[in-house]
Amino acid sequence: MEGLRFKSLSYRGLNTIIAFVILILIFVFFTPNHLFVDPRNLASMAKLIPDIGLVALGVGVLMICGEFDLSVVSILPMCSYIFTLMLIGGVSPVIAFLITLPVGATLGLINGLITVKTGMSSFITTLGTMMFWRGVVFAWSHMAPISIQNYVPVGSFLNNLLTETIGFMPIQAIWLIFFTLVLGLILHFHKFGNWIYATGSNKEAARAMGVNTGMVKTICFMIVGTLCAFAAVMQSVRLGSFAATQGIGFELKAIAAAVVGGTSLRGGVGNIVGIFLGALTIQILENGLILMRVPVFGVSTFIGAAVIIFVMLNSFFERRMV
Amino acid sequence: MQLAEPSYVPENLVRMSGIHKWFGKVHALRGVDFEVNRAETVGLVGDNGAGKSTLIKVLSGYHKADKGQIFFEGTEVQLSSPKDARALGIETVYQEQALAPDLSISRNIFMGREPVTAMGFLNRKVMDEESMEALQSIGLSLRSPGLPINTLSGGQRQGVAIARALHFEAKLVILDEPTMALSVKEVREVLQFICQLKNKGISVIFITHNLYHVFSIADRIVVLAHGQKLADVKKEDTSVDNLANLIVKETMG
Repeated sequence: MEGLRFKSLSYRGLNTIIAFVILILIFVFFTPNHLFVDPRNLASMAKLIPDIGLVALGVGVLMICGEFDLSVVSILPMCSYIFTLMLIGGVSPVIAFLITLPVGATLGLINGLITVKTGMSSFITTLGTMMFWRGVVFAWSHMAPISIQNYVPVGSFLNNLLTETIGFMPIQAIWLIFFTLVLGLILHFHKFGNWIYATGSNKEAARAMGVNTGMVKTICFMIVGTLCAFAAVMQSVRLGSFAATQGIGFELKAIAAAVVGGTSLRGGVGNIVGIFLGALTIQILENGLILMRVPVFGVSTFIGAAVIIFVMLNSFFERRMV
Repeated sequence: MQLAEPSYVPENLVRMSGIHKWFGKVHALRGVDFEVNRAETVGLVGDNGAGKSTLIKVLSGYHKADKGQIFFEGTEVQLSSPKDARALGIETVYQEQALAPDLSISRNIFMGREPVTAMGFLNRKVMDEESMEALQSIGLSLRSPGLPINTLSGGQRQGVAIARALHFEAKLVILDEPTMALSVKEVREVLQFICQLKNKGISVIFITHNLYHVFSIADRIVVLAHGQKLADVKKEDTSVDNLANLIVKETMG
């Protein structure tokens, strides 16, 4: 399939798949009592991974069009807080959820407009918005966690929609797969996806051919914002509360997931399957290491090392193939 | 937007009249008259800063002229964006801005003009088939339309960009330094592609520093210096040395 570019960039897809399989095998065999494949652990992973997974999908697609978004770490708790405020204010959970999604989109729109209009690197602009919204949510909420269990109790519609388990599959995993498919269809099979790749690979060429690169980037920022909002509500409902620390670490994990999945930091290169597997890989790595009794604070050392090794492997193969 | 005007020179495809362009205080184009006839290949030469790139950017809608008129097929036209120029059949192959290196040949050829099925999904079959046809029509044979551009040589990349212009039924193809940084073999390839355009009745404007390259395929050569037209001669009436002397004299004087 030319869209997935496995033919010519097979090394990038391969790296991720190989690492993924090896990782799984290591953890299957080496976690005490094979805890890794214990159904409860698998179920737990399937519920937790989609939080970062959704964000990574958005961030990865944004990276393909050539931009970064560090502010996801702040958009997430902002959306969660606004959702919570609406619940407290008596808004029905489903309506509150449906309103939170465009709120996330708007936060993404702001990132997009600032980046496109000023022409500044999105790394800087989203660094700014990250700190801005973090300050807003910290001050506004006074850092106090808020329980929302009474508003979205187990058995209620929204709770089921976002946290139920269907057969053996937690619905969060289904949502992750759903969004992977939707974004994958757009990225690889739709003309807008071609514009995303074109904008990331050679923005000036895309503009010369009539692609509205500013609009493409802004829409990608809005996709990130919307996915953050979805993940925020999904996470809050699962936790039963809002916490201003929701999403901590997501900004770097999402980029790491995209990079491990073969997305280039330059833009123009990457695929949805890679981003999906990259997100899984990072989280599985974390989960497996914890099960193997690696001290929790030391886990990030391994993840950091893994990311560096991946980037080195990717560029090594890139130089050999091209 | 087009205003009707009597057309009185039927062979004229494009006529630019009295074009001025300022960038801040810099007077880049000082009243340039420039025309291209049907199926004619015109070489546009001159030293750095002469205004060649600026002139063709005005013609391709990238810049708007501050003064002057542009006539296309006898009718005055306003070119406010590259889209306007493309709609008339003016295709431009820019230097650095032609192709996206990570994308495939067919995705590049149809960039911005993708053939789609329902709801905007790419019609891959059409893209692949028509890309191969477009390449073949200029004599470029490549294995597959799915090859990413960054696996192609410089000459082949130019070929793809030229094939793109041809495919979209350009009446005029503008090439900005198409032979820059290419090997001898690649230069020959590219010049052959450009000849194919002429065989199909397409007009070509070819900007270059290399007088030998332009001499081998141009019908007419226009020399610019300091934003003004210095010479406009048929190839038969001049020589590479004459042109070189003219350009150097102007640069030094």
